[in-house]
Amino acid sequence: MKRHHWTFAAGIALALASAGALAQTVIKISYQPALYWSLPFYVANEKGWYAELGLKPEFSTFPAGVPQIAASASKSWDVGGAGSVPAVLGAVRYNLLTIGITNDESYANALLATGKTAAGFVKNPASIKGQTIVLTANSTGDYAVQSCLAKWGLKKADVTFKSMGQAEVISAMSSGNADLGGLWAPNTYTLEEKAGAKQICSGQDAGAAVPGALMVRADYAKSDPQNVARFLAVYLRSWKWLNAHKTEAIAMMKKFYAQGGVTISDAAMRKEFDTRPTFDLAQQLKIMHRPGANGASEVDGWFANIGAFMKANGTFADAPMPSKFITDEFLQMVDRDPKLKAFANRAD
Amino acid sequence: MAQGLTLRDPTAPLPFARWLALTVAGFLAFFAVWWAAAASGLAPPQFLPSPGAVAAQFVELTHTPFVGYTLQQHLASSFGRFALGFGLAAAIGIPLGLMMGWFRALDAIVTPLFDALRFVAPIAWVPFAALWFGTGIGGPVMVIFSGAFPPCVINAYRGARFVEPRFIEAAETLGASNWRMITEVLLPSAVPSIVAGLRVSAGLGWQSLVGAELIVASSGIGYLLVRGQANISTSIVMSGMIAIGLVGFAIDIALRLVERRINRQRGR
Amino acid sequence: MAHDERRRPVWVGVATFAVLIVAWFALTTWTSTIGPGRFPSPREAFDALRQIWVQGYADARLPVHALHSAKLVLLGFVAAVGLGVPLGLAMGWSRTCEAFANPTFLLLRPIPPLAWIPLAIVWLGLGDAAKVLVIWFAAFVPAVINSYSGVRSIEPHLVEAARTLGVSRRRMVTEVLIPGALPMIFGGLRLSLQACWTTLVAAELIGAIAGLGHVLYQASLDLFPAMIVVGMVAVAVTAALMTIALDIVERRAMPWRRA
Repeated sequence: MKRHHWTFAAGIALALASAGALAQTVIKISYQPALYWSLPFYVANEKGWYAELGLKPEFSTFPAGVPQIAASASKSWDVGGAGSVPAVLGAVRYNLLTIGITNDESYANALLATGKTAAGFVKNPASIKGQTIVLTANSTGDYAVQSCLAKWGLKKADVTFKSMGQAEVISAMSSGNADLGGLWAPNTYTLEEKAGAKQICSGQDAGAAVPGALMVRADYAKSDPQNVARFLAVYLRSWKWLNAHKTEAIAMMKKFYAQGGVTISDAAMRKEFDTRPTFDLAQQLKIMHRPGANGASEVDGWFANIGAFMKANGTFADAPMPSKFITDEFLQMVDRDPKLKAFANRAD
Repeated sequence: MAQGLTLRDPTAPLPFARWLALTVAGFLAFFAVWWAAAASGLAPPQFLPSPGAVAAQFVELTHTPFVGYTLQQHLASSFGRFALGFGLAAAIGIPLGLMMGWFRALDAIVTPLFDALRFVAPIAWVPFAALWFGTGIGGPVMVIFSGAFPPCVINAYRGARFVEPRFIEAAETLGASNWRMITEVLLPSAVPSIVAGLRVSAGLGWQSLVGAELIVASSGIGYLLVRGQANISTSIVMSGMIAIGLVGFAIDIALRLVERRINRQRGR
Repeated sequence: MAHDERRRPVWVGVATFAVLIVAWFALTTWTSTIGPGRFPSPREAFDALRQIWVQGYADARLPVHALHSAKLVLLGFVAAVGLGVPLGLAMGWSRTCEAFANPTFLLLRPIPPLAWIPLAIVWLGLGDAAKVLVIWFAAFVPAVINSYSGVRSIEPHLVEAARTLGVSRRRMVTEVLIPGALPMIFGGLRLSLQACWTTLVAAELIGAIAGLGHVLYQASLDLFPAMIVVGMVAVAVTAALMTIALDIVERRAMPWRRA
């Protein structure tokens, strides 16, 4: 009942906005503050690249992936970035499509231990059996931790998981109330630098690929495919620029992280760049390419593993087929349009 | 007044000087305990900063932005949500309560529903609030609404039900319509009860807001708390708590003044 | 005029719920006006209930969750009442005590219990102690305020009469003060209990392994609307049961008010 009012009001707002800003279409973008893969959204806006392609971004930010996915149900946003675990959840619950990869964050999702216990756990991983691990359930951090346990031959039942937000994980570990925790960057750096914790195993160490996803609501993809392609082009250009201008990039990152309440050292920020590969247009197309009619792309393989992990967690009864929600259609659109393609590959 | 009865009557009002001395001593005792706990090293300063450190942090937050905004801006954003949710609760709750007090059928229909919903904690609405209205403004407003709504309804209802019957009779003999009966008889007599309800409602609404923002929000004072926590900065967390307390206190005082004023006017 | 002693006919309430359930079916199962991702159909809600009742959800079965929550609420509530009521009585009785204790109370009172969560974790860890502390904060304030106003609302000549009769201090407390303040105290306890439940859900965000708040949290992380509904109903039912229990205690404690 109330929805009609909302859509009505939103419609008016949209009409007014588009009338006011010369032929610029509003696109609602969601992300999480103070994260490595969110940086391009911020940079592109500062540089005015959205406007160059006739987009007027309206940003909304979320403290974690799951509320972000939930908010897509109320059409709070059209496109955005999130971890791959929330992306799969969004695919199952609200038909969200994954249209690109933000970065390879396998190294940035990790199991940390407090300073005094880390050495012992590293020397003898079997001693983790029976321990309590604090983490945010249904997150990429959760995925990395469980992959690490598997690497050491431990099962989920061998440990006790306590699920909580990242802020609570940090509190619990920094105050010595928990010895082991699953986190993602930059929280990992906060905990290392301010509480002396140590990263003892990352998704990368455990051989688990943890991608970050760019997503779109299915109905928005259908109604405004052009905008989705333009959004991707802007995102790709931002990475090009960031990777080509490290010093400036770090300075902007510092500002962006501070806005999210994260103050970590320059070295840690540099490490973010060094340990988290990003993909340009050609690379994106390559990892998302499906050989043959029924072939699976590299990305399909990553997401199939994540789906299996979530199924094992009891999040849903059946993991979705990657081919059902992952599509390179919009990257192809960018690739086919010479203007967009050139835009996406600009490093200045 | 029991004043003259005995010198040792503990309920007798204290002389002002003595009252002041005790109050000051009370404040000092509070801060002394806090300070001593911090200084004794019972908890590391990281987790229990001294009052001075918190005060300094508080002042700093008012001019250096944290998570994008200064403390005042966070408070303003929270207060905006609060005002919307509380306003909505009052605008819907008070008329509903009055009408329930007058129309039997409505009372019979709404009351059981209301009783069933009342026990659901406002925070329990957070998951659905995010699902239905997103986490920008709609979600938190819905959570505040669910906290602030019941006292508005209950007190308006009680106020309307306990109107002196002779007023109603008088109005009935004058042939007042339902509309006039509610607006001109029930509403004026229910005002003290409604205002008392608004006070409770504002308190609960403000608390629910903080809960909602702790869990899902990307601005506001609850968000400041979470990010301070994530940055291992207990003094920011405590500054946020103090700010929340001050605003809650100010809201209560404001409504108390309104209440007193109305009661005084009606007393004549 | 019958206006004042009217009674709500039970059948209207029953009918309201019946209409609502039919509307629920109509909007979800029959017409799917409301999509399954936004609000569950009765069937899904029932399945979720069966799942948590039989197999369990969020690491335990429903009764285990409910009992765990009830235990926390009870602990926090009892601790708050045990400290809050005597403090309220003392503040109501003695102006000296009031003047001294009031500042602390004024400073702590406006801080919502939930805002203590971050501090509760670093101070007390992830166990039940932190949750009980948060719940305690929620229940403490209403317990103090109502006991205080309860004492203040005792008719002064009652106290005077007792005094002129030379009643001992102990009897003054047990036979005048407490019985006189009891109705207000129970009003406060009722508010306290409600505040405890409101806070519980948030308190169980602190790394709970069991509890109704944990169910809600897990369900919201899984984006599982049917389980969210089950969790909310479970919170409401458990809270209602505890309130009824308090009512029974109240009636036992004040037999003279039974009329």
